[in-house]
Amino acid sequence: MKGNQSQSALKKLLYNIADDLLILGHRNSEWTGIGPLLEEDIAFSSMAQDKIGQSLAIYELLHQLGEPHPDTVAFMRNANQFHNCQLVELPIGEYQFSLVRHFLFDHSLLLRFQGLTDSSYEPLAQVSQKLVGELRYHVMHADSFIRQLGTANEDSIGRMQTALDIAVPYALGIFEKSPEEEQIISEGIFTGEQNLYDAWCREISKTTSLTSLKLPELNPEQAITGGRQGKHTKHLQLLLDEMAEVFKLEPGAEW
Amino acid sequence: MYGGGNIFEVNKSDNLNQEDPVKLDEFEARIARGEKVEPSDWMPALYRKQLIRMIEQHAHSEIIGALPEGTWITRAPGFKRKMALMAKVQDEVGHAQLLYSAAETLGKSREQMMQDLINGRSKYSNIFNYPAFTWADSTIISWLVDAGAIVNQLANSKGSYGPYCRALERICAEESFHLKYGHHAVIHLATGTNIQREMVQGALNRWWPPMMHFFGPPDKISVHTEVLTKWKVKMATNDECRQQFLDMYVPKIWELNLTIPDPNLRKNSETRQWEYSEPDWDEFIRVINGDGPCNAERLSVRRTAEERGEWVRKALLTKEAKYVTPLA
Amino acid sequence: MKMDSLDPRIKRWKLQEQRQEEYSSSSLDQLPTYEVFIQLKEGKAFEHAGIVHASTADMAFLFAKEQFSRRYSCTGMWVVASEQVWVTTYSELEENIYDHIGQPAGEENDPQDDFDVFHLYKRGKQHKHVGQVKAQDTRMALLKAKASFDTGRPVLNIWLIRSINIQASTPEDQVIWSTLSEKTHRDVISYRAGDKLNKFKEKHNEG
Repeated sequence: MKGNQSQSALKKLLYNIADDLLILGHRNSEWTGIGPLLEEDIAFSSMAQDKIGQSLAIYELLHQLGEPHPDTVAFMRNANQFHNCQLVELPIGEYQFSLVRHFLFDHSLLLRFQGLTDSSYEPLAQVSQKLVGELRYHVMHADSFIRQLGTANEDSIGRMQTALDIAVPYALGIFEKSPEEEQIISEGIFTGEQNLYDAWCREISKTTSLTSLKLPELNPEQAITGGRQGKHTKHLQLLLDEMAEVFKLEPGAEW
Repeated sequence: MYGGGNIFEVNKSDNLNQEDPVKLDEFEARIARGEKVEPSDWMPALYRKQLIRMIEQHAHSEIIGALPEGTWITRAPGFKRKMALMAKVQDEVGHAQLLYSAAETLGKSREQMMQDLINGRSKYSNIFNYPAFTWADSTIISWLVDAGAIVNQLANSKGSYGPYCRALERICAEESFHLKYGHHAVIHLATGTNIQREMVQGALNRWWPPMMHFFGPPDKISVHTEVLTKWKVKMATNDECRQQFLDMYVPKIWELNLTIPDPNLRKNSETRQWEYSEPDWDEFIRVINGDGPCNAERLSVRRTAEERGEWVRKALLTKEAKYVTPLA
Repeated sequence: MKMDSLDPRIKRWKLQEQRQEEYSSSSLDQLPTYEVFIQLKEGKAFEHAGIVHASTADMAFLFAKEQFSRRYSCTGMWVVASEQVWVTTYSELEENIYDHIGQPAGEENDPQDDFDVFHLYKRGKQHKHVGQVKAQDTRMALLKAKASFDTGRPVLNIWLIRSINIQASTPEDQVIWSTLSEKTHRDVISYRAGDKLNKFKEKHNEG
């Protein structure tokens, strides 16, 4: 990596990814112990733990690039300093919403990490290489649930459809471009959000086409964006206040 | 996490005279030889009934036990604690799954057990009816309640029913992580700042009395369970488990310079037994019968979780789906 | 009336005060069970681990992965519906169950299915995979299993499963376990605090 400019582009991308993972992992952990079925409770919790672990791996890359310690970064920033897309910060809702979000987001995540295995930033390529295995499981899980609940009965199809209609505009916000986008591509750090978006559309349609669900029109103009620039719904600050409630009692202490 | 206690209420109507004496002899001989009983073996009705009751209560204790610590799952301070607590609470759900499965092999369906729990027809460990006020409460639970559970579960894992032993083997292996994690977190609080020390001392003060209740009433006032001991259903007495727990953990609490809220607690050097203020057994009975600080909330949460998840289970239930009793 | 909770997750649920009516899950919605077998290391025998409740073999596989292989190591997993497992009786007094089974009477020419064979060597332990036989039905499979796998060591119980009914992980699936060894937050080794404790004790004793 050369020059400060490209380092800031790299950092921006890493923050986007890590913040997405932390916030969604946190949200999904809200189901642990109170999920719809014991086995699914366990599976969903594992994937939430995976996400928190993945975010930590990326925050550690940022730490190596001179950013503060992962705990400080995760627990001490305010909402406007977070770069996650708004999709991940929304409350868990009923299970259909959490599942649909998991499906829409994790497909993008698997594709993103697959793409990043070729990143010119070698440490990121290595981390990505490692994580694609566990993400493959996350996507298998998501697809399997979408297939079953999206075909089972009128009630489940209706619930899933409503959740999909609500979530898709937010999901389009995953691919919000940063001002540094061109540089990220030209430096070979990542192939870019547009490529990712195209591949994502293909993958999610493949799964929904096997169900009774109707994928809402994927129109980038309807994307709910702003998250990558620190603009968030009211839910994110509430989440962060809750997450840091204990940590901030003694920020310098070892817990 | 499970602590035994007041669970075996042997009815007078549980009459062994109705059992085939030859089969009963063979059954008891098998247990005396140290062999495990497997689901398809002949067993006395009383054995089946008491095992279902015990394993079911243990399973309920795991799924309800996920709630007090779950109180802090979104607020754990720092990555290390956040991931550990998620994994720890997840394990409790996993343990419930393993134990319900073991009980299912005896012929009671998981859904039936869940309904009996929610409708108050089946008990769970009393200690989970107390609230986790602070982060430190969650660490004291992870450490001491799990420590107590291990004492009880290690004893039970030498019992006679194969599927229960297999489940406990896996559970005990996982509990060792809980214990280490809990101890690690308590050490950090006890050796930390004033705020942290006060927090953990407060939690210890709150959890000590329920911890003394955890193993159940003293043997001298407990229901007699000779036949269950002979059948290796009940493996250690309440007092034995309590003494073992005190032996292992009181020194570990004291070395952190924490105060156990019982001025009479000491080890008698002659009898080598721990002496302590008699726990309030009236409170124990009151809480077990529904009048604890969190009984209503715990059951209401479980009920709401089941109700909100019902559409998922219904949608997964295909027409071809056929339930058969699991094998082992 | 709302019920208050210390758990912010539960607060958001807005619990109702205890209700009078009994809880009843309308249909006792009990899903079928699947038996799960795990291979801990390459080359080791698959071993029974437990069961999961699931709607299909696909979903059983997903559930089993996190219930039975979220720790230690894993290189492969099989799941099969409980009703697809054919079970012999358990032998008494630690006799070899194969001693009660005869020899195959001549070769059959009918279409042959693959059967996977599992042995139980000790009550209270798990069934272990020993291999496959080809046969037209379970009766013949059992005879063939005796011919192939009876070493004289007492086998107390045998399970036979038509291989076609087993949902097995493929070599490509193995990557889903590739980060298992790094999930150290689930492991005791991540929680050593002896040094901190000793330092505290020293300081405290001095004081």
